[in-house]
Amino acid sequence: MQLINDDNEMKKTVNKANLKAALTLATTALLGSVQVAAATTSVEPTEDSWSFDSAFLYYSEANRVSAAEAVFNANKIYSDDSILNVKLTIDALTGASANGAVAQPKVQTFTRPSGKGDYDIKPGDTPLDDTFHDTRVQLNGQWTQALAQNYTGSAGGHISKEYDYLSLGVNGNIAYDFNKKNSIASFGLSHFQDTFTPEGGLPKPFASMTAAYHDDGDESSHDATRMGSDDDKTTTDIMVGFTQVINRNMVTQLNYSYSVVDGYLTDPFKILSLLDSNGIAQDYLYENRPDKRTKQSVFAQTKYHFDETILDVSYRYMWDDWEIDSHTVDTRFYIPLGNGSYLEPHLRFYQQAAAEFYQPFLMQGDALPEFASADYRIGEMTAYTVGLKYGMKLADGNDLSFRLEYYRQDPKSAGQKSPGVLANMEIYERIDAIIAQVSYSF
Amino acid sequence: MSKRRKIITTEREDGYCIEFDAMASPCEVIIETSDRALANFVGKAISTEVWRIEDKYSRYNRQSLCSQINQSQGNPLAIDDETFALLNFADTCYQLSDGVFDITSGVLRKVWTFDCSSNLPSPLAVANVMKNVGWHKVKYNQTQIILPADMEIDLGGIGKEYAVDRAILLITSLTQQPVLVNLGGDLATNSPRKNGQPWQVGVEHPGFVNKKKMVVSLFKGALATSGDAKRFLLKNDHRYSHILNAKTGWPIENAPRSVTVSAPQCIQAGILATLSQMQGEHAETFLEEQEIKHWAIR
Amino acid sequence: MKNKFKYSFILATVTLASGCSSLGVEPWERDLLAKEQMALTSSPIDSALDDHIYFSKEASSGGKSFGGGGCGCN
Repeated sequence: MQLINDDNEMKKTVNKANLKAALTLATTALLGSVQVAAATTSVEPTEDSWSFDSAFLYYSEANRVSAAEAVFNANKIYSDDSILNVKLTIDALTGASANGAVAQPKVQTFTRPSGKGDYDIKPGDTPLDDTFHDTRVQLNGQWTQALAQNYTGSAGGHISKEYDYLSLGVNGNIAYDFNKKNSIASFGLSHFQDTFTPEGGLPKPFASMTAAYHDDGDESSHDATRMGSDDDKTTTDIMVGFTQVINRNMVTQLNYSYSVVDGYLTDPFKILSLLDSNGIAQDYLYENRPDKRTKQSVFAQTKYHFDETILDVSYRYMWDDWEIDSHTVDTRFYIPLGNGSYLEPHLRFYQQAAAEFYQPFLMQGDALPEFASADYRIGEMTAYTVGLKYGMKLADGNDLSFRLEYYRQDPKSAGQKSPGVLANMEIYERIDAIIAQVSYSF
Repeated sequence: MSKRRKIITTEREDGYCIEFDAMASPCEVIIETSDRALANFVGKAISTEVWRIEDKYSRYNRQSLCSQINQSQGNPLAIDDETFALLNFADTCYQLSDGVFDITSGVLRKVWTFDCSSNLPSPLAVANVMKNVGWHKVKYNQTQIILPADMEIDLGGIGKEYAVDRAILLITSLTQQPVLVNLGGDLATNSPRKNGQPWQVGVEHPGFVNKKKMVVSLFKGALATSGDAKRFLLKNDHRYSHILNAKTGWPIENAPRSVTVSAPQCIQAGILATLSQMQGEHAETFLEEQEIKHWAIR
Repeated sequence: MKNKFKYSFILATVTLASGCSSLGVEPWERDLLAKEQMALTSSPIDSALDDHIYFSKEASSGGKSFGGGGCGCN
């Protein structure tokens, strides 16, 4: 009888450094070779694999613009937890956008931004320029990795190109976690360099809209109102953030952002009506905005996990040196329905004050201000979004979701009196939009 | 021993849960399937296997192979392949721990009663019992074992974890559905859940009164916990854990009260948890050096 | 007056942040926080699409992430 466990055998030493390997070997011997099932343990998702998200969004305003936007997002998590993210966005915009002029009791004729051709607006209607057709392609890349113990860095690039617009951007972010990763402080910088080459060139501030020329017409009068073909804009953002886990159910985030936008901030397609004392438009003047805007914002978000549902509430207060300030409250409520499907109602409330130079029209006889714009988007406004998202887990484990939202903007008077005939006109027209989205992750 | 050998099947939101008692612990098998028959079938197969292992190796069962070995009075006793494999595994653990982990250390129970009291045995009593401790005195091969008289082996330190791994192996041959096997806190799963989410596993800390159940996310693999907060001795402000050093016959000092370890197989997790406790105050360092995912409570 | 409010808000934010050091959970208590739905930005694509819409329709942007430029949206 040869017993293997005699004293000689006992002297064999096991290298402690290889304890795990020795145990694995012993386990394999014990459990046999049939151990396909429990081959790996993992407290992380599968490593080194790509995941993809795609989405199609349709945005449509009643009688105004509609936009279709497609997003394809690829994410790769490496075994060292580095993350590569690449995102392609393509969108197409068509339809009509308010040109800034006010409604009138008679037909109004406007020259298209190119100077070539014109369009008529019916009495009583808010003037909309239906010239807008644009396709935009955007590519984003972002790399995130651990820099040192407790430090995570992220850097990214952005390029966006549309027919008349080019935007290049870079960003960097560093995050420091402490208190068992319950607290994360972050600091980020981003810089964008945009070039705008609008069709028809850049109008001179407060230049009168000239009559349109046609195919063989004379461009000189249009050209006289122009001051160049393109201009630049830079945007620099600094953001400091703090994220804190409160308890097993709750996490919060606080951000402060400082942003400086410098360069051509005027909208070359927007005009103001120049009215006489009866409220009748005598002329249309191109708008003019300051060439610098400094914005700041604070943002706070909290997520709370109830037994089943999750509440997500955020608030943003933004203010700038154009005297615009705004409040945004955004709420989502995640309701799981079992089997991986869920419903998520969404409510958003937005309110902004007007820029100091916002005015719905100019009056003849008044001195021309340094800056003026009738763009309702920098006027006083309240907006609401009500939406519902439904998501489901498909048999193959992929995610499919649908989102339908209603967005409403209520521009308001900033106090200007409506002279003469304007009393009967709708100057602050409500905008209703529908947002529909389908997303698929695999 | 077949007093309460029954399984209870209950329907859950995402499948079925089969509960039974084995190895002095509540056991559960969770199967993500809508097929009740399949769930019952798998549950029965697993509970049968777990009870088989219990019957074969429990030292409480006078009929078990383990008891037969312990009563062999130094005579050779025939063993089968499974027992040989388990003894080999125990042998590896003995060597890896430099003799601190020893399946023959069970006789130390005769002098050590961990009842939270201050009743420490006398060094002489411990030394007396230690004469009957020592894996190196045991001779075995593929077909038989010779255990010296008055010595005992106890596979309790690895039996439950072994049963978990056997259950997972069994499942692989029965179904592709995600299954979680939990035998009194030692547990393993064959795959992530159907929604791609990890299993949320509540880990019990035996004896901790005020400790909330610890919840761990487990995609795949196994978890095992070593430690029992209620089993210790306290004398002169000195806390003696129930983890005994088989080399000295005395408790390991400054061991964490509870260690939970994650590993591909449950038996690995279990032995790593035990070995780490045997490192005393260096338990966490030991696991960190081995790059083993763990949760320790002191 | 308005500015005073702003600074006090930031101060409150910072105070709150520094008082948070005792808050938090142990690693094994992250079962709920680890869910993807509990991520602060749980649907990055939805957020990016929303940001784009509101950037082009309202005078505010950013806050949660960089407001940025990026389009000559009308």
